[in-house]
Amino acid sequence: MTDYDPNDDIQDERIRALAASHYNAPEGTVPRDAMWEQISAARRAARTSPAEPAAPDATVIPLAPRRGARTIVVWRWSAALAAGLILAFVLGRELGQRDGTTSSSHIQLAQQPARSAGPTDSAPSIPPGPSTGTPDVTQRTPGAAPRRVASAEPVRPGRATGAEVAARDSVAQTLYRAAAIQTLVQAEAVLTAYRGAESGASDPQVMQQSARWARDVLSSTRLLMDSPAGRDPRMRALFSDLELVLAQIVQLSGTPLQASERELIDRAMRDRDLLPRLRSAVPAGLAASS
Amino acid sequence: MDERELTARAKRGDEAAERALYDAHVDRVFWVAYRMTGRRDLAQDFTQDVFIRAFERIGDYRADAPFGAWLHAITTSVVLNGLRKVKRFDQREAVLEEAAAVTVRSRESEPDLKERLAQAIDALPEGCRTTFLMHDVEGFTHEEIGAATGTTAGTSKAQLSRARAKLRIALADFAGDWIE
Repeated sequence: MTDYDPNDDIQDERIRALAASHYNAPEGTVPRDAMWEQISAARRAARTSPAEPAAPDATVIPLAPRRGARTIVVWRWSAALAAGLILAFVLGRELGQRDGTTSSSHIQLAQQPARSAGPTDSAPSIPPGPSTGTPDVTQRTPGAAPRRVASAEPVRPGRATGAEVAARDSVAQTLYRAAAIQTLVQAEAVLTAYRGAESGASDPQVMQQSARWARDVLSSTRLLMDSPAGRDPRMRALFSDLELVLAQIVQLSGTPLQASERELIDRAMRDRDLLPRLRSAVPAGLAASS
Repeated sequence: MDERELTARAKRGDEAAERALYDAHVDRVFWVAYRMTGRRDLAQDFTQDVFIRAFERIGDYRADAPFGAWLHAITTSVVLNGLRKVKRFDQREAVLEEAAAVTVRSRESEPDLKERLAQAIDALPEGCRTTFLMHDVEGFTHEEIGAATGTTAGTSKAQLSRARAKLRIALADFAGDWIE
């Protein structure tokens, strides 16, 4: 142990003064406005994503120890949703065949919500027949892509009743919702796995696996953004943010991750609060579909 | 408008109140972040993170404590976590971790006191460095440091004492001049 030396106080004061005036001393001005722009942009993004319960989720992020169990749960959900998706698909086909549509009825089904998502949201999206006098949807949307024109092949009059059309719409909506949720669940699993691999960032195999996995989910994300599921602004914002982060993960080549790359991905995830938003969107989506 | 009212309005999502709180505290947060990082780009990033997190979690803030103290707890957390990430890839961690590795070099080989001081502070263990900078340089109390770092005022005092001792040793060859 050292004895007290009165000279220590003199040295401490000298060191303190020197540190205050020279060690990373303030110089220049604080870039207030530049920082505020970033902050308010992030705040606005958060406000336009009501699925994100801000305060509690911030404390959810560090739940790393549950990672293993969570991944298992995620894949159980995923399997269940895949089964639901197939069931919804089969139902959709069944209904389509019952009202005499062609074998491409599932394509037609997939287009319906796209047409019904406009201002006439509550109206049946399939032209009900000549008795109502409703014009063909394709005539109202001349800029529609050719594949839509092909899929909007007129349904034979008198075949589909209003109830059947409504049922088909409902099945299609369920189908899209299920697909969206399934993708979100998979995305969450990818991001969780990526965060889990953070400590093993030097392992090329882990990084390659994350990149492959992210690529699969990314393709689904893009498809969903262009589908009626992407018309929900909340979902669209989530898919858009997801796409950005997944694209960054996809670029991982399996070589040891550079600090700047990881920082970029981490920041993108953190700034967008992606995991909390995903976690809150998934149960909300399920609740809505049940 | 007082801070209590501003925080209440910010809790309701009032952007003007958020801006007012930002204006009142941004300089302090930025310069603390700069003092601890020594890089303007990091200080800017960390400051943004601090305010984004603060406004996201403002529902957790209880008005019985000063908003500034609550904000500085977030600042410390953001800066220290951020610095750990940066340092992890900076390949200087080993040097920064162990203050004992600081050797007293001869004045002739490195005459610049300011540079020696900077190296000595950088070489302090994280807790000591944070406490030294917050207490001796930025003027925080031990209670505030304890709250911000998730320790106690006693721990803060102990770390400050260790930090000062290490700095005295590291700069011992200048001591004669100072005492005179």
